[in-house]
Amino acid sequence: MTNAGGHTERVRQRTHEGFLRHKGFRWAQIATLLCLVMVAIYFFVAARISEPPSGGSWLGYTLGTMSAGLIVWLACLGIRKRVITAGHYSLKAWVSAHVYLGLSLTVLATLHTGFQFGWNIHTLAYVLMMLVIASGALGIWAYATLPQRLHGNRGETTRKQMLEALESLDKQLHDLGQPLDRAGAQVVRLSLEGTQLGGGFWRRLTGSYGDCANLRAMQKLKTLPEAPNPRIAEIQAKIETVMQQKADVLGLARRQMQITAVLEGWLFVHIPATFALLAALTAHVISVFTYW
Amino acid sequence: MAQEFHLKLITQRAGGGDPIVREREVTGLEATIGRAPGNDIVLADLSIDPQHAKMRFTGPGRISIESISGLPFQVGGKSVQGAELSAASHPVVVFGEYTLSFEPSEGEAVSVTVTREDDEHHASPSIFSLQAKVFGRRNMAWVLGSGILLLCLAIPMIFVLFMANPKIHPDQQWSTGPLSKAHAFMEKDCKSCHTNAFVAVRDEACLTCHTTDATKAPKALANAKRLGSPFEPRLIAEHAPHADLQKATPLPAGVGPKVSTLVQRAFNHPTDRCASCHIEHTPAKGGDPKAPLSDKPKLVVVQTCESCHSELKMRLGKTTLIDTPDWSKHPDFRPLVMTQAGPTPKFQRVALDTAPQERNGLTFPHRMHLEPLGGVARQAISLGKGAGYGAALECASCHRRTPDGKNFQPIQMERDCGDCHSLAYDRVGGEFRNLPHGDLQKVVATLAGRSPPVMPGANRARPGQIRPSAFAAGGASAYRATFSRGGACYDCHTISWEGDTVRMAPVKLATKYLPRGGFDHNVPEHGGPGQSKAGGFKCADCHRAQTSDKSGDVLIPDLAKCGTCHGQTTAKIAAADDADCTTCHSFHTPGQPTPKPGQPPLRTLRWTEAMNRRGGGA
Repeated sequence: MTNAGGHTERVRQRTHEGFLRHKGFRWAQIATLLCLVMVAIYFFVAARISEPPSGGSWLGYTLGTMSAGLIVWLACLGIRKRVITAGHYSLKAWVSAHVYLGLSLTVLATLHTGFQFGWNIHTLAYVLMMLVIASGALGIWAYATLPQRLHGNRGETTRKQMLEALESLDKQLHDLGQPLDRAGAQVVRLSLEGTQLGGGFWRRLTGSYGDCANLRAMQKLKTLPEAPNPRIAEIQAKIETVMQQKADVLGLARRQMQITAVLEGWLFVHIPATFALLAALTAHVISVFTYW
Repeated sequence: MAQEFHLKLITQRAGGGDPIVREREVTGLEATIGRAPGNDIVLADLSIDPQHAKMRFTGPGRISIESISGLPFQVGGKSVQGAELSAASHPVVVFGEYTLSFEPSEGEAVSVTVTREDDEHHASPSIFSLQAKVFGRRNMAWVLGSGILLLCLAIPMIFVLFMANPKIHPDQQWSTGPLSKAHAFMEKDCKSCHTNAFVAVRDEACLTCHTTDATKAPKALANAKRLGSPFEPRLIAEHAPHADLQKATPLPAGVGPKVSTLVQRAFNHPTDRCASCHIEHTPAKGGDPKAPLSDKPKLVVVQTCESCHSELKMRLGKTTLIDTPDWSKHPDFRPLVMTQAGPTPKFQRVALDTAPQERNGLTFPHRMHLEPLGGVARQAISLGKGAGYGAALECASCHRRTPDGKNFQPIQMERDCGDCHSLAYDRVGGEFRNLPHGDLQKVVATLAGRSPPVMPGANRARPGQIRPSAFAAGGASAYRATFSRGGACYDCHTISWEGDTVRMAPVKLATKYLPRGGFDHNVPEHGGPGQSKAGGFKCADCHRAQTSDKSGDVLIPDLAKCGTCHGQTTAKIAAADDADCTTCHSFHTPGQPTPKPGQPPLRTLRWTEAMNRRGGGA
């Protein structure tokens, strides 16, 4: 039985495919075909119709209706992902279609514009759509590459272990600092109280912690007056060691945060821009028919 | 008990559970407070100095606390260096993370409860994830979404639906592109064309400024001025009655355009509007999007001439138009001929091959006038070059071009015939007096009561002479003589008598035989000035005037003559030219050729002074 179980596990591992490769790139093929067909029709028709290409021609309306329908459907992923189902309409299949049909919008909607752009609500909707797609593409890249990098960064250490290590080192610093005089205690306090693990979005994303309190504490430790006695000197040496250990753990945790920020950050553009797009799309459609 | 401090050290557990309590006594009147292990009260907080403060009894139940490190502590929320406290009032003193609560104990002792908030804030692994408070995904989504809906849809819509003459135009953000220069003055006022929300621009909006309706045209010009147009709008006529156009127009060619047309019609977006062909808000097809704006709206040809003028009778049963599916099947000319002169002349289109005769009331033999060896020629020669003759008459001797050279001015008797045909009836002091041509009643009044003078000389009189036979009727009055055989009027006019009253058939000469087609006489190959290509025509090649004895002959060539060059190749004839419908016809004015793109130039449509007065006065 054990063997059988192991065998089953291996098979499952081997046959696993992510949303990008779902069903042998079925949706990638469908989306590519859709784009090629529409591009062919566009250039065939555009050369033959008398009016300048625009969203107002019959082809323009066709492309516009397709694009608007796709946008609404793509936005429905937010609803779909909250419903757990399986089978033909599995979430993986849905995400795969979301990715590839979403990318195909860059072609369909651009053809819909007839390459006419201006400072108006219509181009705003287009720009927002491209922003959503670009952020989504960043998300695809992030999901495809970053989990590997996250794993490579942390090695065998879990996030919880990182936090526990930091707590433990802080406790050591706190205890070690007790015999120190006021100046020494201040240095230890700086590391204990001033150290910020994460920070804001940009700090996490750029990993710029040059003003890290622990780092400053380590520098200040070296500038302290000579220890009055060997015991204190020994304590200071220990503190320096612990601070260095803390700096190492901080570095590891912050790289983890940096990768996580990229992994999650695109959604901070993708989701709000999607809602902005839905609003602009509504305004685009209604305004076009208001001033028909 | 004596004055001593009863210490109770309590460590609270943030995670819950029983606090850790340790108790001991400090004998003596003083107790030291600090981080160093030697203090009476050891506070393991790095913000506290090794020897931070000292407290002592200053009386029964009274304690004084002084900082010995120079670092403060807190009493009642205030930072102080020293404090006098009464245990009875249960004071609370704070050193860093530690709280010292005083209260009277047994006897004169004071109980000091030292507690520390154990701030074991265990960071959660969720700290690794992004957490935004203000710029959270949901917040931003709502703010951006509702902001765009408000600014880009709701506010402009309120202006569109409820504001008549707003000072700002938030609906401008809906414009899909700039207007042509001709219409740019309406750029901010979307509603001047888009009069009704959710209704496609209707012809009525265009005709507000462009109608040719005689009763409405002056108002249309005034409207254009009021809207701020720097240009005089071109007044546009409909190609045919609109109902007929709708019936006569087939669906466009191709599946896409057909479906598009049907869908548009179903959605109240007709394809037979002015705006269906004259497109605004869009750059020229294939044009540089950064190029300067076009002068006029982009013209989109939705239907070709042939698509409607083929099998027209099937769609429009009542039509008298003959199908013209292409040039080779163009029907022969049917000139518009006056079949009855008079105050209410009648016109009829008659096939050219039936040798139609026009009842124009004039007696005029072209042949006689063009005979190179005839009397007319001799008279012309005798008039000499100084008078503009000196040789036998040619077409240009009598027919004068319009200033643009495209057509000919109507014949004026005095100017065009008067060099030979005298209207003189009297001489007063060496000055000849001429009959007023063109008004029979004035002629009659002029001659009333006169007797014919008797003068010798040739019977044909030049101007400045009175022909002897002008009043030849023996004993007749000058009046009767003038209108009788040999009289001044008799040669050219058809005259009859009712008793003593003269009747003269009215003269009306055709200015245009083909009202539905344009012909440019100015083209060198059409006999116009300039060097013609080989195969081009002179007047006589088309107009058989040399053999025409009656002025009623319709002297226009047949279509085959046009076909000599039009629709031919240059290999066959050097003067070959295209045979597009637009060469001779245009949509809005079928009697004129289609103007070249950009004609007339926009700048020529600037309001003239006269137009300014007209527009201002209307």
